[in-house]
Amino acid sequence: MSDDGCGAPRGGVTVSEAGSQAVVQGRVTQNGTAVPVGYARLLNSDGEFVAEVPLGEDGGFRFFAAPGNWTLRVLAPGDLRAERAVVASTGKVAEIDVAV
Amino acid sequence: MSRSDVLVDADWVEAHGEDPGVVLVEVDEDTSAYDTGHIQGAVKIDWKKDLQDPVRRDFVDRAGFEALLSERGISNDDTVILYGGNNNWFAAYAYWYFRLYGHQDVKLLDGGRKRWELDSRKLVTEVPQRPGTSYTAREQDSSIRAFRDEVVAAIGQQNLVDVRSPDEFAGRLLAPAHLPQEQAQRGGHIPTARNIPWSKAAEEDGTFKSDDALRALYGDAGVDFGTDTIAYCRIGERSAHTWFVLHELLGQPNVKNYDGSWTEYGSLVGVPIEIGDGA
Repeated sequence: MSDDGCGAPRGGVTVSEAGSQAVVQGRVTQNGTAVPVGYARLLNSDGEFVAEVPLGEDGGFRFFAAPGNWTLRVLAPGDLRAERAVVASTGKVAEIDVAV
Repeated sequence: MSRSDVLVDADWVEAHGEDPGVVLVEVDEDTSAYDTGHIQGAVKIDWKKDLQDPVRRDFVDRAGFEALLSERGISNDDTVILYGGNNNWFAAYAYWYFRLYGHQDVKLLDGGRKRWELDSRKLVTEVPQRPGTSYTAREQDSSIRAFRDEVVAAIGQQNLVDVRSPDEFAGRLLAPAHLPQEQAQRGGHIPTARNIPWSKAAEEDGTFKSDDALRALYGDAGVDFGTDTIAYCRIGERSAHTWFVLHELLGQPNVKNYDGSWTEYGSLVGVPIEIGDGA
């Protein structure tokens, strides 16, 4: 994949299982309904930006982190924001659903 | 060169995006976003299919660039406004590319698609039909593109700015964290490089920070504005974003983008690599 760019597809890259990855994924909802327009940002333990994906049509997002503590921040139209702490582990999928 | 020569805001695009002589272009790696909705009048450029050579690891050549712009209906004297997703990375890459082939009047939409979407501005699915042109490109401007040998020679001599995330710089991640971490090459960074992530140059909504804030950012991180600079990332788009900041917004001379970036450098045999968070 080295000739591919670094672009983030809507909702994040699809995987069937974590394998050797430390996956952080989830869905963003408002009043129980998916938020299809917005952005999920992953910040490291120092609060530094690491990555961002546009939300999928189902409000979904997915990151491939390193093991450790991360912060997930969501931005959506109408100045909607939310933030959650998340722990990533190799070979596991950390599921984190966010209501804005 | 000043900010208004190279950047426009969303209000300007709403007022002038369809003026004669203005061409809006959405640029991204994944162009499905364009297909589901784009700014009225915008044509699309696919970063991979349109701008990369299909066989070698390089850009399309001068003739290929001429054919692309002619087919999209872009003339030499048009004002080209570029925007895209991923905080304008691919639009900044295309901007650098337009400059490389000598296009005179090209600007970025500040904040790109993200700010536009967060503002809930109008997107349409109608694809504009622009008549073809006969575009003439110049030879590549080598003063803004760095190749591997000059990068190795620049260690300890020039500003090397690694714009990847701190975790990629340190070698803990091999790609941005929205991508799977399976890569052939080694992790780490070029010795003496400063880690100034591209994201520090942008606000959370994707717009660029003020000139004063940008100058302080790079100065405080150890960039010597009296010395030549090479910016790199993993593949060259995030560093095109930083090249735009240093060369176009701050007007620094002698700034090059190393588009080979870490996927080339980290696979080279015999070159020095540092790991860890750096000084």
